Amino acid sequence: MSLRELKVCLLGDTGVGKSSIVWRFVEDNFDPNINPTIGASFMSKTVQYQNELHKFLIWDTAGQERFRALAPMYYRGSAAAIIVYDITKEDSFQTLKNWVKELRQHGPPNIVVAIAGNKCDLSDAREVLEKDAKDYADSIHAIFVETSAKNAININEVFIQISQRIPVLDAEGSSVRGFKLRRQPAESTRERSCC
Amino acid sequence: MDPFDSCDSRDGASKTAATNSQTPEPWSRFSAWLECVCVVTFDLELGQAIEKTNICYLSFPDSYSGCLGDTQFSFRLRHSVGRRGSWFGQEDAYNRAAPVTLQKEHAHFHGYVYFRQVKDASVKRGYFQKSLVVVSRLPFVELFHSLLQVIAPEYFEKLEPCLETVCNEIDQWPAPVPGETLNLPVMGVVMQVKIPSNVETPAGSPFKQTQQENLLPAPMILPSVHELDLFKCFQSVLIHVQMLWELMLLGEPVVVMAPSPTGSSETVLALVSSIAPLRYCGDYRPYFTIHDSEFKEYTTRTQAPPNVTLGVTNPFFIKTFQSWPHIIRLGDLKISGDLPKQVKIKKLAKLKTLDTKPGIYTAYKTFLQKDKALIKRILKGIQKKRPSEVQSSILRRHLLDQTQSFIFPLEQYLSSLMPPQRTVSPWKTPPQIRPFSQEDFIKILDQGGPQLTSVLKGDWIGLYRRFFRSPNFDGWYRLRYREMTQKVECLHLEAICSTDLLAWTRDKSEVEIVDLILKLREKLAKARRHQLPVKEKHLERLEQSIQTIISSLPEDLQTVLHKQSQSEPHEH
Repeated sequence: MSLRELKVCLLGDTGVGKSSIVWRFVEDNFDPNINPTIGASFMSKTVQYQNELHKFLIWDTAGQERFRALAPMYYRGSAAAIIVYDITKEDSFQTLKNWVKELRQHGPPNIVVAIAGNKCDLSDAREVLEKDAKDYADSIHAIFVETSAKNAININEVFIQISQRIPVLDAEGSSVRGFKLRRQPAESTRERSCC
Repeated sequence: MDPFDSCDSRDGASKTAATNSQTPEPWSRFSAWLECVCVVTFDLELGQAIEKTNICYLSFPDSYSGCLGDTQFSFRLRHSVGRRGSWFGQEDAYNRAAPVTLQKEHAHFHGYVYFRQVKDASVKRGYFQKSLVVVSRLPFVELFHSLLQVIAPEYFEKLEPCLETVCNEIDQWPAPVPGETLNLPVMGVVMQVKIPSNVETPAGSPFKQTQQENLLPAPMILPSVHELDLFKCFQSVLIHVQMLWELMLLGEPVVVMAPSPTGSSETVLALVSSIAPLRYCGDYRPYFTIHDSEFKEYTTRTQAPPNVTLGVTNPFFIKTFQSWPHIIRLGDLKISGDLPKQVKIKKLAKLKTLDTKPGIYTAYKTFLQKDKALIKRILKGIQKKRPSEVQSSILRRHLLDQTQSFIFPLEQYLSSLMPPQRTVSPWKTPPQIRPFSQEDFIKILDQGGPQLTSVLKGDWIGLYRRFFRSPNFDGWYRLRYREMTQKVECLHLEAICSTDLLAWTRDKSEVEIVDLILKLREKLAKARRHQLPVKEKHLERLEQSIQTIISSLPEDLQTVLHKQSQSEPHEH
């Protein structure tokens, strides 16, 4: 079995639940009073996918505006980006679109994009329709799921879908370190990626 | 205290310090690695005039000529005593397991500097001049310079939030545990490092760097946290490595004058590390300026030059250090033919003018002859374009073998001073370690001398005699003596533990028994305080037998003894 390290970054507005998603995925835990992230925090988790081990190196970035300029350090070289919005906040969905634009312009060419509409447990206060978000995600060939870090809904799902979209290793299995995938010929992954 | 409280002062260099706070909680992990991060900017009108620390002066190149662009170097700083002083000698978990050459020191800090000087029309002087400095007790020069390479360029562009982020990320790093391989995430990069421990031999690079093409940004695997490229550092003094090793071994006063702070600091660190696994016990300053608080102390003419190694760049120092016995003057590297030009040994009298030529200015005659085979091998390697890392590890291997050949007889002799195990008795105080006799040692050199493991010819005895007078011998001996004392203590404790103490008490008076209990308790507390390498189960058994003996005593005495134990501070 081969081990691949996959750098994944989380982007999105402040307070949409990026850190909570990571906590749920890595620690299977939820803390309603989590502090805003300063800069970024790092966690990792290894999961099995088919006959490979995927070690996700997860960079959870700060949503606050003052850290915005640092984001390139974290999406640089990422195999995937999870852009998170809050289904109860229309604004956060607009921010998400800006992130998609930025990734398209400055991100790695073959980055896998996953869109997570978090806080789906609060559907009473919903401002963003699932269908609208899904249509948008489809239009940019992104993974789309609505999640709830609080109720553990679809969290693992996001990462499983990312694993599915990561290009398979070549026969020699030479890209032990996952970051190689951005160097793969664009054609092979074009239909899967957002840009 | 918010670690990002900036204390911008108006006097010249403004300094934004991220010092670790008084309460250990939020920044405890950060402070396992760093003391603080400083930003130093140059002010045209006032220069780097800041009163508090030397950091500002040490963070800027002394002479500006060749430093356009980015420069990295390091310095070492005496820690002004009186500040929150938590002693960590053998009590510190890291120090207990780290090689002596990599231990944290109580009295010194290391500063690692990333200096940028670029043309900038918006600044009065016409130049942007700024240094990002990380200050740590850990002598991990390679790690911290790699860290700076990641963070400094970002910082110069993105400023404060970047620093805040980095400090937070470092605050999430696992503690530096000797022997462990750690992943240190910072700014989207994961640096992988192995922290050396005292149980492995410091031979060469511990793990191979597998370079894969175009894997940017591949995980950063650092081959070593502390080992510099020795070959690069010694390029112009390769043929004098033997002399340099002896000078370091003997703790001779040495000044390195280099054209840049990078050159001076790398050379000094390389010199100091050349006698590993022996610890260089004198003071050393990879980059020393006239603003250093120790400047007067070290350059006074009324005393003999101190046993220190100083790295300097300012030509002014030529005058200051005229009375010093060994001055290594380096120039910009020149290539003659296809080999780096080697500096020559020169007479001290020639050291006069400010434009003194490169050379080693000394009257020193080596005790041992040069290893010509090594020099030949290294020079051939240059012609064959052997990679620098390989050249370095050949050099390091050679120096290590040589140091080990030198210490081995000392270690052998020292272990003969240990009292025989049969003299350790639970009923007597621990036996004494016999004193070190230089003459006895010299006598054994005939059969067990360094000639067994080293091919080098020369006056080994003379070298040992001189070594006995150096701070390095003193430091080595103290350390070993302490270890041996602890070993004897351990054996003694174990002997006590395996004795039937209760049986002994049967025909003893109460006074004798109480005396025994008090002595045992004291021993136990000492073992815990010094963290003697005794198995915990031994200590527990001893505690148990103390309890058993106490309960065999009359009740009133029992109460007294229990009370007495409660009033003692418990140390765990």
